[in-house]
Amino acid sequence: MGAELTRHVKRNLVAYIALLPMAVVVIFAYLGTMAWSVRLSFSSSKLLPKNDFVGLTQYFTLFDTPRWLTSLGNLVIIAFFFLLICFALGCLLAIFIDQNVRGESLFRTVFLYPYAMSFVVAGLVWQWVLNPDLGIQHTMHGLGFTGFVLDWVVNPKMVLYAVIVATVWHGSGLVMALILAGLRGVDTEIWRATRIDGIPTWRVYLSIVLPMLRPMIITSLVLLSISIVKMYDVVVAMTNGGPGTASEVPAKFIMDNLFERANIGLATAASTVMLVTVLLVMAPVIYSQYFRKSGRAS
Amino acid sequence: MIGMKQMVAVSAIALMAATGVAKAQEPLNAEVIHWWTSGGESAAIKVFADAFNAAGGKWVDNAVAGGSAARSAAINRIVGGDPSTAALFNTSRQYHEIIGEGLLNDIDEVATKNNWDKVLPAPIAKAVKVDGKYYAAPVNIHMPLWIWYSNAALSKAGVEKPPETMDEFFAALDKLKAAGITPLALGGQRWQENSLFSAMLTNVGGGTLWKSVYGDKDEAAIRSPEFRKVIETFISLKPYVDQASPGRNWNDTTALLIKNEAGFQVMGDWAKGEFKQANKEIGKDYGCIPGLRPDSPYVLGGDVFVFPKTDDAEKVKAQNLLVEIMTQPDVQVKFNNLKGSIPIRSDVDVASLDACAQLGMKIMSDPARQAPDASQMMEESVYGSVQDIVTELWNTPMTVDQAVERFEKALKG
Amino acid sequence: MSKRSTATKRPLTYQEVWGRIGIYAFLGVLALFFLLPLYVMLVTSFKSMDEIRLGLIFSLPQQFSIDAWIKAWTSACTGLECTGLQVGFGNSVKILVPSVIFSILLGAINGYALSFWKVKGANVLFACLLLGSFVPYQVFIYPLVRFYAQTGIYGSLPAIVITHIIFGMPVMTLLFRNYYSGLPVELFKAARIDGAGFWKIFISIILPMSVPIAIVAVIMQVTAIWNDFLLGLVFAGRENLPMTVQLNNIVNTTTGERAYNVNMAATVLTSLVPLTVYLVSGRWFVRGIASGAVKG
Repeated sequence: MGAELTRHVKRNLVAYIALLPMAVVVIFAYLGTMAWSVRLSFSSSKLLPKNDFVGLTQYFTLFDTPRWLTSLGNLVIIAFFFLLICFALGCLLAIFIDQNVRGESLFRTVFLYPYAMSFVVAGLVWQWVLNPDLGIQHTMHGLGFTGFVLDWVVNPKMVLYAVIVATVWHGSGLVMALILAGLRGVDTEIWRATRIDGIPTWRVYLSIVLPMLRPMIITSLVLLSISIVKMYDVVVAMTNGGPGTASEVPAKFIMDNLFERANIGLATAASTVMLVTVLLVMAPVIYSQYFRKSGRAS
Repeated sequence: MIGMKQMVAVSAIALMAATGVAKAQEPLNAEVIHWWTSGGESAAIKVFADAFNAAGGKWVDNAVAGGSAARSAAINRIVGGDPSTAALFNTSRQYHEIIGEGLLNDIDEVATKNNWDKVLPAPIAKAVKVDGKYYAAPVNIHMPLWIWYSNAALSKAGVEKPPETMDEFFAALDKLKAAGITPLALGGQRWQENSLFSAMLTNVGGGTLWKSVYGDKDEAAIRSPEFRKVIETFISLKPYVDQASPGRNWNDTTALLIKNEAGFQVMGDWAKGEFKQANKEIGKDYGCIPGLRPDSPYVLGGDVFVFPKTDDAEKVKAQNLLVEIMTQPDVQVKFNNLKGSIPIRSDVDVASLDACAQLGMKIMSDPARQAPDASQMMEESVYGSVQDIVTELWNTPMTVDQAVERFEKALKG
Repeated sequence: MSKRSTATKRPLTYQEVWGRIGIYAFLGVLALFFLLPLYVMLVTSFKSMDEIRLGLIFSLPQQFSIDAWIKAWTSACTGLECTGLQVGFGNSVKILVPSVIFSILLGAINGYALSFWKVKGANVLFACLLLGSFVPYQVFIYPLVRFYAQTGIYGSLPAIVITHIIFGMPVMTLLFRNYYSGLPVELFKAARIDGAGFWKIFISIILPMSVPIAIVAVIMQVTAIWNDFLLGLVFAGRENLPMTVQLNNIVNTTTGERAYNVNMAATVLTSLVPLTVYLVSGRWFVRGIASGAVKG
């Protein structure tokens, strides 16, 4: 056993060394910080971290805070629609662009440019566009369509969808780029073969190409999930959580308490709750993805 | 350009060394972190910088937009062992914890010399004095709850004179509404909704209720009919606000008054800057109302500079010089004129201030009407919860009973 | 690039013509949706503030003016200094180049080692890394400041570069790991039998096949690092503040006045660097790069 282990390590020694930087970063930066923030969630820290112990007080406070509960609910809605729309749109864009369209690079840049825009100002622009007195509704009324209503930003029931519109605008370009990169890796022979066999294009995509793009699809879904959990800038710039608390999200709750409200204890409790939630959601996925078949060569 | 300056400096030092001056009188370096980045604010901070440089210092500017970003930058620098010479905070409890941790230098020496106990309004002195020592230099007083109005909008609606009581205010709102003008311009962001609520608390409830609810967090006061009246009045303002209000920035809201599309706005005295940019004049185009009752309190907000702990004698000297300069009467007048606020001391020449600022100075000279800002009376986390309640109260059909209950819970902890 | 179209050199059928029209209609309508905010930003940036106050966001400027653009670049106030965005440009480049190169390189090495080599515990580490990427950056700031302060590099170029490498690692590793897991393992096995080692295989076989994913990685890292404001502000030190700190100073204010025309111009100007990268990267979005390398 011991000898076998030594032989294994020896054969893969360089790989071990190559992964050292990652190990250091994971252990010290990530695990260290996570442990530290979990520890702080049991303290009464306000502006600066404190080392006292107050048990689960912060967690009780947290789940007694209506705004936090609203934030969690909002996140579920955002996660569902954003993930679905952004992913579907990104895939469709990539597939359509991959049809030998003229001006491909123009289209690609148009769909990707929002990703480069800072949300501080882009969020404001979306707020204007969706505001009934400034944006589309105002223009339509000016044109005589006085029955036209588009008041999402100021309507507490619809404001989340306004946020989703802006985030889809921002994020689907990246999904497109990822999927497109994957499509461009698909062997041209496959297309020739299916064409000769007379298989309809949509069937080729669904049953041959998509499975081949599995790694890219997983990557996009994980990236989108990360951006959902961390969603902050867009909400601040577009609605600042309003009207009322109708568009509050967990990351904004964490940030507000970390800085504006000088309540580190509560902020770390909230971030711990998010971490555990992510762990619970991801655990089965990560397990099936990364532990079933580790290291494909020996 | 910098290279040039350095060369001049180097050759000057070389010259002095050659001519036998033992040690060159090096300027006192002072790095200042602040969040005053807009045009008017930049002009204002320049008054400090120029005065400091003229007194033999060298102001090193470190501007970070956004109050909380700038404050956390300052705190990170302290934690990282590389503190700035001075940092801007609001006149509030934001810096009390870092005083408690012993991370700030006191400025008692300058304060005592300049008789701050006498010169400063009591609420301001209270906010910057901890355990008998002064730890922060107040530089301005902002009154966040002015009521602004558009002359043209009011006269178009047939409102002859600006309201002086709550009843007159509501009468004016009704007339504006009848005339098809947005009666009350409100930017539907948490802090602006909170300003509106605070204005109701000071104008309907009065100074005593303001202090007993927010200051003493007195249960009886929170449950009193007077406080319920405040909540009811706040709710009754909803129909006077336009539907595009949510999320609107304060300056876009002020623009509605500038365009005479709205009658009133509750906003701090910095709103003057926006009117000024659009070439509007006080008295002719717009006006300011400090309160809607004869004894309505004048709420004292504003900004202070704090001075991170250092043992470096040169740095301490620079810190003291900064305090000295920034609180000088003439610098105060010049600075506050540009900032839109009023000076922190009453012994200044008010002639050059605008009409609203002069009115503010006059009211403030009566200690009975001075009131601390809400952020000076409670911790930031508590104030945050209060603002959450206010914004929900405004945007959801919350009842008065529910509101009272939640206020009590938030304030009593 | 158009291998498929050359294979079908015959007149399009009726159905195919409609198909083409559908494709262009779909892309065109979506392009309009995507461009709408940019249109608003551009027209606003060419207006005067008096005109902007009128609140007509879609109308073309009555008086076309590029003052806001000049002001944003050269003279907008960012505190005491009124020198616009330009001052931070060099610093942003100084931070961007090493951060992008090292984070992508590390991501590729990690991904390669994870998907082709057997390293005990590596997948557990990777899972932790992924989990960590869900924690907001802001939570990391305090411990990182303490760490850098103790090592004496707080507020320096190395501090900010290391920070970007740390925060880029989860996504970069994920990107490369998943991409490599889709590559045929036979190539790797054959090279191993030939006696090639870890680095030899990486450089001569894996890297050439990584072009498409490396382009995506460049797009992501350039965007993230160029647009970062918070980490630059906290870790880079006064001498190395990136352009986004100036951008933030120009566009962000609570109680000061807002010059929307300058804000829009400054935002578009700041995004020009990532936009250029997107445009240039198109050259490598070409079919068959990876498969070509496989065959070669």
